[in-house]
Amino acid sequence: MKKFFTILICKLLRFAGKLIGKGSSKPGQVALKLCPDILSRVQLPKYIIAVTGSNGKTSTVEMIAHILTQNGKSVAWNKEGSNQIEGVTTLVLDSSTLGGKVKSDILLIESDERFARYTFKYIKPTHYVITNLYRDQLTRNGHPEWVYEALLDSITDGTQLILNADDPLVSSFAEGRKDVVWFGADKLSSDTPTLESVYNDGAYCPVCKAPMTYSTHHYNHIGHYRCTACGYHRHDTQYTITSVDLDKGEMTIDGKHTITLALKSLYNIYNILSAYTVASIVGVDGAKIAADMNNYVLKNGRVITFTLGSRKGTLLTSKHENSISYDQSLRVASAYKQGCDVLIIVDAVSRKYFTSDVSWLYDIDFDMLNNKNVHQIVLAGKYVNDLAVRFSYTDIPNDRIKLFEDIGEAADHLNSDRKEYIYAITCFSDKGKLLAKVKGE
Amino acid sequence: MKILHLYHDLMNLYGDYANVSAMKRILEKSGERVELDRLSLGDNADFKNCDFIFIGSGTEKNQRVALKDFKKYGKALKDYIDSGKVILMTGNSFEMLGKTITDAHGQSFDGLGLLDFGVTEQNKTRLTADVIFDCDFLTQPVVGFVNKCSEITGADKTLFSVRMGLGNKDGDKREGVRLNNCFGTHVTGPVLIKNPHFLCYLAETILGRKPESDWMTYERAGYEVTLRELSGRLNAE
Repeated sequence: MKKFFTILICKLLRFAGKLIGKGSSKPGQVALKLCPDILSRVQLPKYIIAVTGSNGKTSTVEMIAHILTQNGKSVAWNKEGSNQIEGVTTLVLDSSTLGGKVKSDILLIESDERFARYTFKYIKPTHYVITNLYRDQLTRNGHPEWVYEALLDSITDGTQLILNADDPLVSSFAEGRKDVVWFGADKLSSDTPTLESVYNDGAYCPVCKAPMTYSTHHYNHIGHYRCTACGYHRHDTQYTITSVDLDKGEMTIDGKHTITLALKSLYNIYNILSAYTVASIVGVDGAKIAADMNNYVLKNGRVITFTLGSRKGTLLTSKHENSISYDQSLRVASAYKQGCDVLIIVDAVSRKYFTSDVSWLYDIDFDMLNNKNVHQIVLAGKYVNDLAVRFSYTDIPNDRIKLFEDIGEAADHLNSDRKEYIYAITCFSDKGKLLAKVKGE
Repeated sequence: MKILHLYHDLMNLYGDYANVSAMKRILEKSGERVELDRLSLGDNADFKNCDFIFIGSGTEKNQRVALKDFKKYGKALKDYIDSGKVILMTGNSFEMLGKTITDAHGQSFDGLGLLDFGVTEQNKTRLTADVIFDCDFLTQPVVGFVNKCSEITGADKTLFSVRMGLGNKDGDKREGVRLNNCFGTHVTGPVLIKNPHFLCYLAETILGRKPESDWMTYERAGYEVTLRELSGRLNAE
């Protein structure tokens, strides 16, 4: 009876919450109070797919859900990305019958890295994707190895790990485990022989801490690595990006499935590959997955095209306190051959908590913008002085940089008759302030 | 002048490297020719020729790797500090100066023993905080961010007093360590960029004269914004 009522109440709260536009964590929070072990009392489907990692979780989960749904599977997933235990509880109970049986073929869970160990105590994933571990929100997360330790506690026997072979720290989750599926990229035309990043999180082996060498870098410390002492190295992959042409906007998986990219970034190709891998494991045909991913535009609002007066632009939502996320966006802008202006806003470091820390600016490779494709750089927000100082440590000439503390003034400045495309790079916490000044498409 | 950035690739977790860039800039703006050495594991640094040494923060594992290598510099470091030269150690790097570091599993590692403190780590809660610290040698407070998992006990020669944020251990209003011109603080990242007055103080100590500092317009403005934000937060609490 307790189970029945808990599920009923969770469903009712969820229904009411949806009507008034509330988030999805409260119903689960109440359910966990009423019945702390409710998750272990629910009958779960055959496939429980979990996705975690620093970057790309939400996009990957959305792509997996899209592919599986397109191919006739019913999928319960946390659309709103509320990825801590309360949100997951809401998802599970809202997808259940009142008798406690999840109605979908597949339960698909995006999980926060630090909370996975609590969530997966009750819901053991059958398949567990770990996308990458980067310097991400270090003011809360400490550092990637700290997150690694927390995630290690969330992995139990009987779960198949699906790992990014190109990330050395993520790959070390496989140490001492057998059931691992690897995805990754062959040497690509966009690769670099040496590291292109301000810092090197691949300098030392995650297992023995001896120096590592790379035969190729896809981006930052993601690539083909080998430890000079213990022999730890990148694994061969079962699901592989065999080629990519970012200018043309194409990627090929396993040498046979070519996908046209709606977003021409290396990030996007990894997200597509991990979605491809999961869908393949669930039994969807590769050609069908490729068709579903062809020109796929994410619906999670992280990439938004807009007009500002007579000018067109794209907002590349990037994560403050996450240098690789910024590097990816800077790479997209700096590759825009027709010429662009770049707007960078740092106003509120986080929308969820307070911090005034801007150390992470020094981990971002802003020198990528020192390039003929990038014309004017507009810096804005409360921390514009810190941005100005950071840029003073790049080789970018001063006369190309404009500073505005007020985001509205920065938008007004950009609303000119200049012909350049605009790339706006900022975080969830600050993008609304820009979107209020532009017209979305 | 010569700057030594030690363990630049191993102990550089929060943009700490930028402290070296800032010191190089202020010394150059003050008319000095500056040579920067970036050394790491297995190298043999000659402290005697250095005018400024910097080590940044690292993961707990990386700190242990650095410590193993750093021990060979025990005598050289003592001489360097005794001679009054400047060394800055941010984050957990300064923990290497103490007697022992005990990790979350209870295993102990000997430090260099230049100072009389002990370090105890845990792996449950990351201890993080925006901070405002005061000290007697600067007219304005130091702002920044602490990111650690350890407690320091038995440090009597401390660097800062805590106005906001975390001290050496729970409830302790003192933070960091100081021995002559050896400065150790758990503040991470580019502390010398965020605090231009601290940079000037260290540069003046190194130069023996006032450094050139007219160029620090944005640095000073950035500092004021952060101090204002943090003070607002402190007053609201």
